[in-house]
Amino acid sequence: MTRWRYFGRRLVLSIPILIFGTTATFWILRMGPIDPAAAIIGPDGDQQAYQRIRDQLGLDEPLWQQYIDFMTGLFTGNLGQSWVLNPGTDAGVMIAQYAPRTIWLGFWSVLIALFIGIPLGFYAGLNSNSWSDYVASFGGIVWRAMPNFWLAVILVSLLSQSQQLFGFNWQGWLVQTDIVTPPSLSNLQNPTNLLAAIKATLPAAVVLGSSSMGNEMRIGRTAVLETINSNYVEAAKAKGVPGRTLVWKHVFRNALVPLVPIITGEAFLLIGGSVLVETVFAINGLGYLFFQATINGDLPLVGSLMFIFILLVVGLNIVQDLLYTLIDPRVGYEGGGA
Amino acid sequence: MMSTDEAVERGEPVLSVENLQTVFYTDKETIRAVDGVNFDIRRGETVGIVGESGSGKSVTARSIMGLIKSPGRVLEESSIRFEGEELTTKTERQYRNVRGSRIAMVFQDPLTSLNPVYTVGNQIKEALRLHQNKRGQEATETAVDLLEAVGIPDAARRLKEYPHQFSGGMRQRAVIAMALACDPELLICDEPTTALDVTIQAQILELLQELQDERDLSIMFITHDMGVIAEISDRVNVMYAGEIVESAPVVELFEQPKHPYTQGLLKSIPGNQSGGDRLETIEGDVPTPNEPPTFCRFEPRCPEAFDRCRTTHPERIPIETSTDEHSAACLLYPEDERRDERVRIHREQSENGPASGGEQT
Amino acid sequence: MAVTREDRTLGERVRANPRPALFWLAGVVVLFALEFGAFMNAIMSTLPWAAVGGALPGTSIWAGLAGVGDTLASLPTLLSRDLVPNQGYYVPGEGWEQTFLGLEPAVAWGLRVTLIYVYAFVFFGWLANGYFVFRRHYRYAAWTPYDDMLDHLRDHRWGQFGFVIVFGFVVMAVFAPALGPTTVAQNIADPYSHEIQYYDQEAQEVSTALVGDANRAATSKGSADRNVGPLSYDSYDRYHPFGTLPSGKDLFTFMMAGARVSLFIGLLYISLASGVAILLALLTAYYKGLLDLVVVVTGDSVQALPQLLVLILLSFVLSDTWLADIYNGGLLLALIFAVTGWPYLWRAVRGPALQISEEEWIDAAKSFGQTPWTTMQKHMLPYVVGYLLIYASLSLGGAIIGVAGLSFLGLGVNPPTPEWGRAVSAGQPYVATASWHISLLPGIMVVLIVTAFNALGDGIRDAIDPQSEGGSGSEVATAGGSGA
Repeated sequence: MTRWRYFGRRLVLSIPILIFGTTATFWILRMGPIDPAAAIIGPDGDQQAYQRIRDQLGLDEPLWQQYIDFMTGLFTGNLGQSWVLNPGTDAGVMIAQYAPRTIWLGFWSVLIALFIGIPLGFYAGLNSNSWSDYVASFGGIVWRAMPNFWLAVILVSLLSQSQQLFGFNWQGWLVQTDIVTPPSLSNLQNPTNLLAAIKATLPAAVVLGSSSMGNEMRIGRTAVLETINSNYVEAAKAKGVPGRTLVWKHVFRNALVPLVPIITGEAFLLIGGSVLVETVFAINGLGYLFFQATINGDLPLVGSLMFIFILLVVGLNIVQDLLYTLIDPRVGYEGGGA
Repeated sequence: MMSTDEAVERGEPVLSVENLQTVFYTDKETIRAVDGVNFDIRRGETVGIVGESGSGKSVTARSIMGLIKSPGRVLEESSIRFEGEELTTKTERQYRNVRGSRIAMVFQDPLTSLNPVYTVGNQIKEALRLHQNKRGQEATETAVDLLEAVGIPDAARRLKEYPHQFSGGMRQRAVIAMALACDPELLICDEPTTALDVTIQAQILELLQELQDERDLSIMFITHDMGVIAEISDRVNVMYAGEIVESAPVVELFEQPKHPYTQGLLKSIPGNQSGGDRLETIEGDVPTPNEPPTFCRFEPRCPEAFDRCRTTHPERIPIETSTDEHSAACLLYPEDERRDERVRIHREQSENGPASGGEQT
Repeated sequence: MAVTREDRTLGERVRANPRPALFWLAGVVVLFALEFGAFMNAIMSTLPWAAVGGALPGTSIWAGLAGVGDTLASLPTLLSRDLVPNQGYYVPGEGWEQTFLGLEPAVAWGLRVTLIYVYAFVFFGWLANGYFVFRRHYRYAAWTPYDDMLDHLRDHRWGQFGFVIVFGFVVMAVFAPALGPTTVAQNIADPYSHEIQYYDQEAQEVSTALVGDANRAATSKGSADRNVGPLSYDSYDRYHPFGTLPSGKDLFTFMMAGARVSLFIGLLYISLASGVAILLALLTAYYKGLLDLVVVVTGDSVQALPQLLVLILLSFVLSDTWLADIYNGGLLLALIFAVTGWPYLWRAVRGPALQISEEEWIDAAKSFGQTPWTTMQKHMLPYVVGYLLIYASLSLGGAIIGVAGLSFLGLGVNPPTPEWGRAVSAGQPYVATASWHISLLPGIMVVLIVTAFNALGDGIRDAIDPQSEGGSGSEVATAGGSGA
């Protein structure tokens, strides 16, 4: 089948996945032992208020009715309200408030990992078995094994002690920023503000992207090694193709193919890992919001957030398939590609 | 120095390989993959190189193309003269001008020798752009012509397709088209039909012969298949353990093989069996030579071996025949001499070089 | 007709030449008996027998068995704390008193740890030797593919490194009570129910104190005078190889016990997820078609849920249930990991399983009427197991990081059961101070062990398939873990 038919098929398959995910979320929320109304009321609410909340949340309706309401609500964009964290606030509004910082953080994580991990990997592959290759590879392996949150903790303390340890003050360098603080994303047209926003997010982005960086390095290296030793590169050389073209046109393009699932897989990770990193760096993003909502029992908000996340993940998978379709013409043919 | 054209006019060979030695220096051992190989290829002829796996055929081809990578090296004593120019002393940059435009190579597996993520047209035009500076519309038209010349129908549409969309035989045709894009004088084919099935194989061989007639192309054809050699070559060199052990025009090789190895090869073709219960084979494996030869490398497997074979290296001795181009490296020749005299002749040739240069074929 | 070697069963072969087998067996029995109590202890205290027994009918039987198990666990072992105790106190002007063989507690502790590890490696070496005894004397085939795999492992330094560290980690978990300078019961769980002896400097005499009080004096809270760093003694002359926590409890003992928890969760998760993954992979590869489609959609759906978020959600939602009581949340975590993690393992082995199912000998087996179950077991399973091992070892590393991350947030394993993430969280305010060890050491340990698991996975992969240059799957595995 053609590549686009293959892509279309993957697109269609996403729908049951989306439905399944939200259904699972609903199931966890409603079927779990936690009573949302009780959580909202707290331990000393009165019976009347409790009953009122149950009515408002529709908790006494038959289960299938609740399910329909839940699903239709989500899919039509009605994300409900927060009941515990910010009672009465529309969940959509809250998400819109918290999302920009997570997006900013995510963007830089992906970028940093991409632009450090892949070139390092390609470099290691081109100069394989040299000293720099060993150093880079080993560094990548260890970097990959580091827990996000631990790295974040270490980085925070290193940066706050930067004056004593390294002799220069991180907070004051270039632009004044704090280390453990949400970046201010207002007025990004102004270059100073932009720089401040980038700098404030940089440590968190490095941490969040760290495991992906390690992976991309390793895979990039392997991919380059495989392509360099392949027959078509030798055939191209036999045609007289010069070295530089050989590397850029023939090796890199083919080496990118196995990297695609990693790049998008990494974005997938951000969604989970951001909880830890945002907590340590005190960035009020979606991950942080999710965590707070969960431990405070604000289940309606949790449900909506989970839906957003699932949507994101499915969307990312579609982007990944799209990239694959564009990059590898063999996709769909005898299982080549994905 | 005479010009290329003049040289060719005088009947000088297009390619002249002399004492080619290619050695691989690995951590564990030194492998002498090609150990003193001499042969010529003249304009418009097909020279076959035949031998088992491990005999050094592919390394010879890659040495000529300058594709030997570390830890391998072409030793200094080697000489590869192409149209009057010495290739072994060329820099990488100079070699690039030769590759593709004057000598082209076709590899064994057409699927893996084409880059899967670019269209076939892209890869053909790449060669055109490199060597003939053709771009755009002109390049496309040339590419279409090339595909048609190799017998691919609907060429214009095919240009935009990817390698995996071609069938096996068509792929090999496309690879040949790519090789011929810049009209080279010499085409090296390294087992181009081994990965194809027999009917396609016949078509490709036919195609090669056609192209040769049209363009006056010289072809170096490497294979282990005696049947293919019989069909396509004008002259044949038989290689064993890095050396050429026999060299003759094709008909004569098949009718009067002189070296025991060649005889063994011909006998083991299933069609040539003399009857009996078991298939005739040559027992044993091809050795991996680590030192320069001081004895006959075929001796362990040779049915005609005698004690001197272990201590004397056989040199190429011309065989007296009608064509005057047959030679074999075996202590059994020259036939009409006694054994001791033969050994002496071989020894002398080892030390002093061949008796007279003109008889080397 | 003479009975040739090939015609005898294994039992007959052993009986024909019993000496090597008996010798090896004797060694195993002796070594095992030496530490039998410790192994039983590991089993008894790790698995939630109480909950399991309570849920099953016939409680009296289980209670009886449990009693037996406890007795066995308290059997004296060779390398217990009693053999090489690290007790003693320091009298200024006179040196160490009441010590074992006159050795400082630090040295005594080091000695005990060394002995335990030596024992562990010897025991393992002896067990491994059994394979070679079998190969030399009793195996019918002169060569099997496993011999090649072992040869590959022999030269694979990276894989060996991984194996050694992982083995060390397992030993840590199994022998935890004997490895620490004190015990969990004494120092962490019930410090106010135990006493120690120390030399009271003011009173110039030996007196006793509650461990809890001693802990209060041994806290590490950042400043130079309120800190007990690694490899040092506290004011009660107790030795702390890794220093103490802000609560004053010994970090090393904490981490040893935490190793147990992590290993338990990891192994349980892997066993469950692998079982499911293999079963599904074999079934879908054999039957293909609709079954394959259903499993693919289900697996992808589960994978679409962000694992960490589901973990957070589920552990919170189920935190008041009986499930969460087992191991203070450990069992719950393992289950949630298994439920969210099986699709990854399934995907990993699906590839090889599909490849095998295309092989002709599967068709051949089907053609002469072989039952599907036997085909899967005999012809497909052996090829798939190797790949499973690779990805399982990688996932284990990811699980360890995940559990630590959750505990760091306060959600995973709850007090008083020790877990490394909690140590990192407890030490977070002090990272840049004198008490850097609290956060740093657990993290370093995690990095070391996860790297080791990755190395082990690499080693196994090179052993079974030396030509593969490493697939993208392995990287996504650890990405999935360390991203948490």
